[in-house]
This record gives sequence, structure tokens and C-alpha cells, in this order.
Amino acid sequence: MTILRHTRLAGYGFVLPALVLMFVILLVPVLVAAVLSFTDYSLGNSTADWLAWKNYEKIFTRSSYQKMLWASALYVLIVVPVSIAFGLAAALAIHSLRFGGNLYKTIYFLPVMAALLAMAIVWETALHPTIGIVNRSLEAGCGGWVETFFSWGWIPGVDPESSWYASSCQEGFPLWLGEKRYALATICFIGIWQAFGFNMVLYLAGLTGIPRELIHAAAMDGARSSWQRFRLVTWPMLGPTTVFVVTITAIRSFQVFDTVEALTEGGPSKTTYVMMYAIYEKAVEQNLMGMGSAITIVFLMLVMVMTALQRYMVERRVHYS
Amino acid sequence: MNTGTYSTTGELAKHATLILGALIVILPFYVMVSFSLKSPQEIGTHAGGFFGSQQAFLDQYCVKLGNPEADCWRNPAAYNYGNAFKKAPLLRYLLNGVIVTVSIFVIQVLIALPCAYALAKLRFWGRELVFGLVLFCLLIPVHAIALPLYIMLANVGLTNTYAALVIPWTISVFGIFLMRQFFKTVPDDLIDAARMDGMSEFGIVWKVMLPCAIPALMAFAIFSVVAHWNDYFWPRVVLTGSRDLYTPPLGLREFQGGLDGADTGPLMASATVIVIPLLVAFLLAQRKFIEGITLSGMK
Repeated sequence: MTILRHTRLAGYGFVLPALVLMFVILLVPVLVAAVLSFTDYSLGNSTADWLAWKNYEKIFTRSSYQKMLWASALYVLIVVPVSIAFGLAAALAIHSLRFGGNLYKTIYFLPVMAALLAMAIVWETALHPTIGIVNRSLEAGCGGWVETFFSWGWIPGVDPESSWYASSCQEGFPLWLGEKRYALATICFIGIWQAFGFNMVLYLAGLTGIPRELIHAAAMDGARSSWQRFRLVTWPMLGPTTVFVVTITAIRSFQVFDTVEALTEGGPSKTTYVMMYAIYEKAVEQNLMGMGSAITIVFLMLVMVMTALQRYMVERRVHYS
Repeated sequence: MNTGTYSTTGELAKHATLILGALIVILPFYVMVSFSLKSPQEIGTHAGGFFGSQQAFLDQYCVKLGNPEADCWRNPAAYNYGNAFKKAPLLRYLLNGVIVTVSIFVIQVLIALPCAYALAKLRFWGRELVFGLVLFCLLIPVHAIALPLYIMLANVGLTNTYAALVIPWTISVFGIFLMRQFFKTVPDDLIDAARMDGMSEFGIVWKVMLPCAIPALMAFAIFSVVAHWNDYFWPRVVLTGSRDLYTPPLGLREFQGGLDGADTGPLMASATVIVIPLLVAFLLAQRKFIEGITLSGMK
């Protein structure tokens, strides 16, 4: 009896610090943001005016905020499928190799470990118009067989003169981070470069969990090509992994900030004006805490919907074990 | 994995594709380390291969300061790494990074471990409620609520302190969740035996449960340290003044912002210094690291 009472008290004592911190650090801020999002609060002011829904109205009607929603959506819609496809392809290839698989795995995982901000700065150097290795290598291909090949002139019916490579050779290769056409794509590229190794590792773990007998059985039953075996066995068996990978990549790419802040600052013409950067710019740089809070709330809603969706999918059991 | 037939062409094609991918993945690391070893001229003209020629070059800035030319010849690598530490307090940034990541991890464990033990092994009214709250809080990414946290810290005058860098991360609901799942697998007999020996619950957490949890804690340590060493967003938000508190990524960004573009060598040297420690640790203990970083995959 005394032990029971004793452990009960200990239980409360052990849970209390965590409970207090959960409220103060995670739950109260959500409420604070929710309340401030209806005001025009800024730091240093003792009072703030009640604006009701005006901040939210702006988010969904003003063109700069529409560009923000669009940039975030586009970033997520590009980075998630591409980094997952590459991650899965790399995992499948590595898993089926006879030797050397671990080496590729190590290399592909390096970007996950490296500070994204530092690597963003390095990418900026690599993409620099004069000292950058990327444009320099592309220029080196001009006039030779590389240009002939990548101008696609050898494909019947294609005019090599109008191809991207040939015209870039004429007019110069793009300023990857400075041109409206390329900036978001370049930021996405860095995001994919960084994320796909993480997805690969999760898929490799998923692949080792698939019993070999299942694949042999499918082969016996007439799934002759490896594509058929993938479609009928491997892909369905990877269901739970895929649900998880999709959610975590979506949530992470939704929070993209480092590359945008260091390389484009939302520009050119707000093409890379993603939500986390908007929150930072409005609230921290311009001290518009009310507006920043409103964007925060919209952001939180989206993240929570994504996670809740994942949990629902997992509970509906997207797996066959 | 392919059933039956094994095709050499298929294997070769896979290797070719994977090597191409590896080259793209390695490209920025190559640029970073290579530029950190080269002189400004070699960077401008792309001469000297990976290591550069390592021939001494004339430091124009030194000449402009009025020094005799003979004193201004520099070895490129030494110049770049020397300037990385001289032009910005890089050592200070690294120290800050260590202080912040270690404090965060230690506090996370001090808070999470007892809570996880209570949720896994002790019976008390409201336990399921607390666990439900933990599950709900897992939905909230701390970066997403950075703004209200910043407002709260500003109102109590805590911005621009170490405390501000550490406080939001002191509670790791993920850590609690993870350790609770782990403690569930520890047999009750072990705890009962410790109680029979007269050990207090507090003693059980730190002398029985903690040693059991070392493998899981290691993975969590890697997860936590990597995340906070590399974190840029939160320090950027909460540090507005003194450079003395800057963490490595923030310091690097500041260094980049203060350059006129000519000092690419020292900038790449700083980036190398910041990125390499974790990469080396990863190469030495790959399995542990992959396990740690993909921990969130266990949810």
C-alpha cells in the first residue's frame, strides 16, 4: 500500500516539470499567436488595436501573400514527390546491388548531416555566374559534342537552334538564383539534394522488412518482370513507409527557410517568398507581430492537418502485415 | 534481391546511375573543400585542380595597408583558414555551438527521462491524460511557433541570451514519447527488485532505467545534437544584437553578409570548419547516426 502511494506521488513529481514546460513552451504560444493574429501588435507597444479578421483577409486577398502561399505550395509540391522518387529509386537500386551499396548509402546521406545554411552558401558559390563550377562546366560544353547532344538536334523534328542549351550558349547561362524563371526551381533543387538521402534510408529500412518469400511467390505466380514484382509486392509492402516519408518530407519542406533567407530573401519578385520567410520578414524584421502571428496560425493549421492525415492513414492500416 | 537471374548489364547500369547521382551529391562538398585551399586567383580562374597549386600569392589587401610586398606573400590554405578564424570569431561560434547543443541535450534528458518513466511504469490518476497531451504536442513543430515564443521571451527580456537559445528546446515531447516506448520493454521485475532493495523512485530513474536506456539515449543524442548544431532559424530569430552569442550557422551567415564577394576562400574555409565535425563523426559511426537521424521514423 505504501509503495503504491509512494509511486503515485513520484509519478506526479516526475511528470510535473514536463507538463509545465509543455504548457509554457508549446501550448501557450499557440494561444498567444491565435490572439495576436487578430491585432496589430508590435514589440515595444503597450497596447494594440483589435482588427478582427483583417490580417487573415489580407493573407487570402493581397497579392504578395497569395504569392507567398503559391511559393510555399509549389515548393512542397515539387520537393516532396521528386525527393521521394529519387529516394525510392536510390533505395531500390542500392538494395539490389551485389556490392558497393553501403558506399552509395553513405554518400547520399552526407547532405542530411551537413548544416543546410552552410551548404546553401556553398551552392551559391557553385552556381555563381563567373567563379561557379556549374556555369563554367556548362560553358565548357558549348561548341563541342556536348552541345550537339544536349541541343537534341539528333532527334528528328527538333530544331537544335531553339533548344535551351544552344540558346544559353549564345546568350549566356542563367543567373540561377537571380532570375524569376529559375530562382524557385534552384531553391527546390537544393531542397531535393538535401532531403532525398533521408528518404532513401527510410525506404532501405522498409525494403529489408519485406520477406523474400513474398517476392519469390510472386515470381512463381507469374510476375515475370521486375516491374510487375515491384508493382504487385514491393510497392504495396512499402505503404506504411511511404505514408510516413510523405508526411515528414511535406512538413519539413513546408518549413524551408535557410536556403531562402541566405540566397534569395524571397525574391526575385516574391517567387521564393515561402511562409517561414514571410513570418520572419514581417515579424522579426518589420515588427508586424499581428500579421506574423496570422501567418503562423495558417501555417500551424496546415502542418497539423498534414500530420493528422498521416495518423488517420496509419490507423486505417496502409500495410499488409 | 532479384529472383533467379542476375544480369551484369543491369548491375553496371545501376552503378553508372548511382555514380552520376553521387557526383551531384558530392559536388558542393568538393567545391567547398577545394575553394578553401585555393588562392583568390586560382578561384577566379579555376586553376590548380582540387588542391590548388599551394604556391604563395600576394595578398593585395596587405599591400594596400602599406606593408612591404615581401611581407605579404601568403600560402593559400593557411591564408583562408587563418582568416576564417581571424576575420570572424569562429572559435567563439564553435564554442557557443557546443555550449548550446550540450545544454539542450542535458536538459531534455533531465526533463524527459523521469516523465517517460512515470508514463511507462508508474500508476497514477491522469496518466493517460498526460500521455494524450504528449501525443497532441507531437503535432506542433517548435519552428512553427517561433514567433510567439520570441514575443514571450522579448517581453521578459530574455532575447540575446544563451537561455533564449536553449529554452524552446528544453521540452522534447518526441524524447518523452521515444523513451516511454523504450521503458515499456523494461521488465517490471527489475524495478520491483530495486524497490525491494530500498531504492527510491528517483534512484530507480537514474540508477536503473538510465543505464538500461543508454542505446536509445545515444540515438536520441545524435538526433538532438545534429538538429541543434545545424539549426539556423531559431538563433536567427532570437539573436538580434551581439555576435558573442552566435552559433556556427549564424556566424557563417554573418561572415558571408559582411564580405564584398572577394573573400570566397576564407568563407569556404569557415563553412568547412562548421560542417566537417559532424561529417567526420558520421563517417566514424554511420550505423548509429543513421539510426539517430531517422529516429523520427519510429513514430
